[in-house]
Amino acid sequence: MSNDPDFTGAGGATTEELVFDAKEAQRRRKPNTMQRVGDHLKREWQLYVMLVPTILWLVIFLYKPMYGLQIAFKDYSIFRGVANSPWIGLEHFQTLFGNDQFIRALKNTIIISFYGLIFGFPMPILLALMFNEILKQTFKKTAQTIVYLPHFVSSVIIAGIVITAFSPSAGIVNTILGWFGVDPVYFLTKPEWFRPIFVGTGIWQEAGFQSIVYLAAIAGVSPTLYESAVVDGASRWQMMWKITLPSILPTIIIMLIIRIGNMLEVSFEMIILLYQPATYETADVVNTFIYRQGIQGGQYDLAAAAGLFNAVVAFVLVMTANAISKRYSRTSLW
Amino acid sequence: MSGVRLEGIVKAYGAVQVVHGIDLEVQEQEFVVLVGPSGCGKSTTLRMIAGLEEISEGDLTIDGRHVNRVAPKDRDVAMVFQNYALYPHLNVADNIAFGLRIRKESKETIASSVEEVGGILGLTPYLERRPADLSGGQRQRVAMGRAIVRRPKVFLFDEPLSNLDAKLRTQMRAEIKRLHKRLGVTSIYVTHDQVEAMTLADRIVVMHDGRIEQIGSPMDLFLNPKNTFVAGFLGSPPMNMVKATIAAGDQGPVAEFDGQRVQLQQIPSLTNAVGTEVILGIRPEFVSVANQDDPNLVGLDVDLVETLGSEALIHASLQGDSFVIRTDTVGQMHVLDGIKGFTIEPHLVKVFDAKSGEALPGQVLKQ
Repeated sequence: MSNDPDFTGAGGATTEELVFDAKEAQRRRKPNTMQRVGDHLKREWQLYVMLVPTILWLVIFLYKPMYGLQIAFKDYSIFRGVANSPWIGLEHFQTLFGNDQFIRALKNTIIISFYGLIFGFPMPILLALMFNEILKQTFKKTAQTIVYLPHFVSSVIIAGIVITAFSPSAGIVNTILGWFGVDPVYFLTKPEWFRPIFVGTGIWQEAGFQSIVYLAAIAGVSPTLYESAVVDGASRWQMMWKITLPSILPTIIIMLIIRIGNMLEVSFEMIILLYQPATYETADVVNTFIYRQGIQGGQYDLAAAAGLFNAVVAFVLVMTANAISKRYSRTSLW
Repeated sequence: MSGVRLEGIVKAYGAVQVVHGIDLEVQEQEFVVLVGPSGCGKSTTLRMIAGLEEISEGDLTIDGRHVNRVAPKDRDVAMVFQNYALYPHLNVADNIAFGLRIRKESKETIASSVEEVGGILGLTPYLERRPADLSGGQRQRVAMGRAIVRRPKVFLFDEPLSNLDAKLRTQMRAEIKRLHKRLGVTSIYVTHDQVEAMTLADRIVVMHDGRIEQIGSPMDLFLNPKNTFVAGFLGSPPMNMVKATIAAGDQGPVAEFDGQRVQLQQIPSLTNAVGTEVILGIRPEFVSVANQDDPNLVGLDVDLVETLGSEALIHASLQGDSFVIRTDTVGQMHVLDGIKGFTIEPHLVKVFDAKSGEALPGQVLKQ
């Protein structure tokens, strides 16, 4: 008599056959992908209806225009159209990098963005931390309203205020300087003053509003962390430094990645409103260069090449920042 | 002496008073549990001791020092919070060391203290992990580590086990008890769970609506509740309450209800209370179930018998109200099949005044 164990089932099937049958039955019970997607859509259709306007906006204003990107590689003529214009390869890019004005605009873009990052990025964080420390609610709300307000004012009006404030005849800045015996300075015609004024205006206009994101992150920090720290003997400064700031670090990193991705997108309209030929040397950026060459000069293909270059650099920047953040801080956009 | 003394402690938010003049003295090395339902003021009282809430009136003394106006950090207390209050961006070692770093202790002291506390709490293998990578029980241990590393005079626990599952809660309860025995630090513990209170406390303080209802050892409170609130709050299942009227019987006072009688003990407060409306407090564990007629039998309508292994819970109704009995199953299964009612020793029936809810005097049940 054999001592081998009996692997046959009741109907004489082997173990492998039984396992195969079980898997087959499981596969038949499991709905396929199409069925699952269908069920999901049926269940959540309201959410998708709400998504439709955004998807339409993306398709019409962001994806459809991508078709026109090809003119960056073509000798484009509005009479021949996008499809019929002849391909010329990278000729526009060669022209761009041989163009002193473009190189200057690129340099200005990088410098202005860098200033914005260094001085503008920490400002909303500092504001949020300061707001968080204000205990008197009335004062806190008033202060918040005052710093949020410039965000809701049109850029044209902001530019008007800046131009008036720095006016050599009646501007408040020159009036104050006059009290100290300084002769009036026409700041907005001096290239060396353009970048500080532009970056400062941006901070004044947006820092308050941007602080909302950080305030929301701070609101999410458990109050017991502070209570525990109080019992441990931490001062307000230590709590801000050792609890609040590390707790909102993931938000700071996400905002930094987004900011780096938008580095080459210097506020185009504010530059247009504040700059003048006298300050092109420090004020002309890639976007204003595209506007002048493409719209005013009618060189759509060259402007498209400059725009594409801008987009590719932004893409590389955001990917790099995300990868670095993921590697070192476990926080990333995706 | 590192005891804590509360004298006439009041907490008011504007015109609303939530704690109404609490008097309590916690002895050195004692483990006192404040227990009561949500909103009874137990956590507020603990937070006032910690210094996280201002004291509206009264005096708080820790270790013989008046501390009403002393900052939390200078009270020499450590607190363990319900949600652990661990810093998510710091690892276990840094969380434990946080308080020491704030107090600018030397690196050597911090390292040796963290190592020692890690060893005591079994956290040594996890010192480099962040709180997110720990289980609930481990997080709770880290929270306790943060408290004990400072060697405070008083430990304050604010419902520290509420976020744990039942099994872990039982485990951690034993660990807290063991830790208290080992360190001998005066501890004040807040919970709404009467089982935690009964198992951990040297003395229990039962609170209700911002007032102390009763203070005593767990068994004293269980056996001799001062009023119906304490009687109903401590014990699981809670004490059964039956409305009755005291009458004179052949062998002393009896309680009558729905044509049934329960013999009461012969003490003056009951003998002299004939005609008084009372509430009988009957612990589910103090009755004997019977399936045969008996002159002292109190009849019941049994709804359901839950067999839990060594014991069973009998859900019945008496006077239309729920009445629960807890009984052993071993050797009793035949009785459980046809329960007709229960009998109870007269001295085990607690009698409360129906109007005030206070226990009638002289009913002392010895442990």
